[in-house]
Amino acid sequence: MSQVPSDATPATGGQRINRRNLLVATGVAATAAVTLPLVGRALRMRAAAFVARNQRYDGPIEETIRDGLIATGFDPATIHGKRVLLKPNLVEPTRSCPQMTTHPAVVVAAAEVFRRWGAQVIVGEGPGHMRDTEMALVESGMEDALDRSGLAFADLNYSQIGWTPNGGRASALKGFYFPQQVVEADLIVSLPKMKTHHWVGYTASLKNLYGVIPGIKYGWPKNVLHYNGIPQTIYDINASLPKSVAIVDGILAMEGDGPIMGSPKPMGLLVVGTNLTAVDATVGRIMGFDPAEVEYLKLARNRLGPVDEDCIEQRGERWQGLVNPFQGLDLPHLRPLRAIGERVT
Amino acid sequence: MEPASEVIARLAACQTFGYHADAPNASEPVALSALALLEADQQPRAVELLDWLLARQNSDGSLGIDADNATPGWPTGWAVVAWHAAQQGPVADVRYAQAIERAMTWVESIQGQILEHATELGHDTLIRGWPWVDGTHAWAEPTAMNLLALKHSGRDEHPRAREAVRLLHDRLLPSGGANYGNTVVFGQELRAHVQPTGLCLLALAGEADPSGRTQKSLAFLSAALNERTTTESLCYALLGLTAHHRTPVEATALLAASTERTLKRDPAAYKLALLALAAAGRKSPLIPQSREAAA
Repeated sequence: MSQVPSDATPATGGQRINRRNLLVATGVAATAAVTLPLVGRALRMRAAAFVARNQRYDGPIEETIRDGLIATGFDPATIHGKRVLLKPNLVEPTRSCPQMTTHPAVVVAAAEVFRRWGAQVIVGEGPGHMRDTEMALVESGMEDALDRSGLAFADLNYSQIGWTPNGGRASALKGFYFPQQVVEADLIVSLPKMKTHHWVGYTASLKNLYGVIPGIKYGWPKNVLHYNGIPQTIYDINASLPKSVAIVDGILAMEGDGPIMGSPKPMGLLVVGTNLTAVDATVGRIMGFDPAEVEYLKLARNRLGPVDEDCIEQRGERWQGLVNPFQGLDLPHLRPLRAIGERVT
Repeated sequence: MEPASEVIARLAACQTFGYHADAPNASEPVALSALALLEADQQPRAVELLDWLLARQNSDGSLGIDADNATPGWPTGWAVVAWHAAQQGPVADVRYAQAIERAMTWVESIQGQILEHATELGHDTLIRGWPWVDGTHAWAEPTAMNLLALKHSGRDEHPRAREAVRLLHDRLLPSGGANYGNTVVFGQELRAHVQPTGLCLLALAGEADPSGRTQKSLAFLSAALNERTTTESLCYALLGLTAHHRTPVEATALLAASTERTLKRDPAAYKLALLALAAAGRKSPLIPQSREAAA
C-alpha cells in the first residue's frame, strides 16, 4: 500500500508494536473491557508532519523541504538512483490567479532536493480542466522554470498508460489506468497548493493525485472519478499508487470558492511529510477544518495514515500556533467540516 | 522554406502520429494528420493514416483512443471528419464510406448522463450531448467534436446535431468564451480558456445565436491571442475565428511564431497537423461548410 513510510507503523498509545507489547496485549485479552481500547489504539497508524512558517518563494525553500523530509523519516540513501516523479497542481492555470497552482519555485526546490540525493527527477501533471497542457505550463510559469532548471516534463494526460488494480476498493472501480511515468516511479512527490475545495472542504496532497489520472482515458474533467465518488476515488487512487511523499505549497494559499475561483490567502507555510494523510490532516487543522469530518480523510484514516492529532508527531512549527481559518462557501455539506477551526481560534 | 510548407514536410515525415514527438500513434492526431495531409495533396501518407483508423474501428463503429485502448470512443468523430474529407477527392474508397456509416450509428447513439436537481450548476444539465466517457455527463469538447462529425457527414439537421448546438450555446459562458463545459458553479462564473472556445466556435460555424454568447466568445478569442498563446490553443482559436469570418490580421505572424516554437520544442504530429489545418484558413477541411453556405 502506498503512503506508508517506514515509521508509519501501527502503535499502541504512542508506542510501536513489538513482540513484547503484542504478548502483553494478548495476555490482557482475558479482560475484554481492558483490551478493546488497546486493540483500537493498536490499529491506529502513526506518522510525522513537518510545518515551516515564514517561507517565501524567493527564500531557502530547498533547505526547508530537505529538512522537512528528513525530520519526518525520509532516508535520502533510499532514493539514490531511483525515479522520482514530482506532481504539482496545475489544474487550470491562469496568470491572474497564482493562488490556484503550485508555485514553480517549490517544484524546482523539491527537484533539487531529490537530485542532490542522486535521484532521477521528472515533473509530471495531467491538468484536469484543460487539454492544452503546454498552455497550463506557460500560464503557470512552470515552463520557464523547468527550462531554467533542465527538468523534463511528462504530460500525464497523454502518456502511454497501464492498468493497476484498485488498492482501495472504496469505489466500484476495479482498477486505474495510470501513465507510464507513474507506474514506473519509485517515489511520487505530491506538490499541491493549500486550498479550499467547494465539494470536499479542502484539498492538499491526497486530492492532488487526481492529476495523475490520464484525461485521454477519463476525460476533462475526469468525470469517471466523480461518478464513482470523489472521496472514494481520492482514497482509491492513493491506495493504488507507488510510495509517495507530500510537500504542500502553503506560502500563497487559496480560500473562498476553491479550488479554482478562490481568493489569495498568504500563509507563508510549507508542510512536508512522508505520509500524505498525516500531512493533509495537519494542513486541514491549520486551515480551520476538522480533518476527522472530511470524507476522504475518514477513508484514509488508519488505512493510509493517521488523522488523529495524537498520532501525528509534529515536527518544525506546532500547527496550533498557526491556525488561521480559511473562509469558504457557506454550503450545507461543508458546515460540519468547520468545527475545529472555530474551537481552536 | 515557408512555415506552412515546412510544417507539411515535417508532418509527412513523421514516424509516428501522436500527441508528442515520438509518441505512438493515437486516433485523434492520426485523424487530424490525415486531414492536413489530404489538404496538402500528400495522399499516399494520408491514406496510410486513414487505413490505420479503419483498422482501429470497433465492431460497434467507434474508435478508441489508440491501438491499445478500444475505449473510450470519443475520437470517433475525428475519424469521421477525416474519412469524409477523403471521400471528396481522388482517394475516395467505399471502405471509408462504410466506416463513416458505422461510426455515425455509434455517434448518434451515445448520450451524456443528465443530472436532475443539480442546482449548483449554471448550465442546462438535462441536455444530453456527448460525454468523454460513456456513462458520464456531457461536456463541451466531445459535443463539439461530434457536432463536427454530424455536419461534415451531411447531418446538419439531424436532431442530435440540433441538440449539440443547443448544448454548446448553453455552455458558452455568459461573459463569453468556454472552458471544458461548466459555466457557473455555486453562483460564480468560471473562467474561459482559448482552446475549448475555439473548438466550440468552430463547431458552431453558421449557427445563429440570439443569446449573443457567440459574439462575446469571438471577442474573447480575438482579445486572448498573443505571442504566449501555445500551439494547440492558437490553432483552435484561429479555426474558430476563421469559421466565423473573424480571422485576425496577425494570424500569419502568430502561426509563424508558433511553428518555430513547435519545431524547436515538440514537433509532434498532433501540433503540426493543427498548424497546417489552421494555416489553411477558409480552406481548412475542419471548417464545416454546408450549413454556413446555406446561411
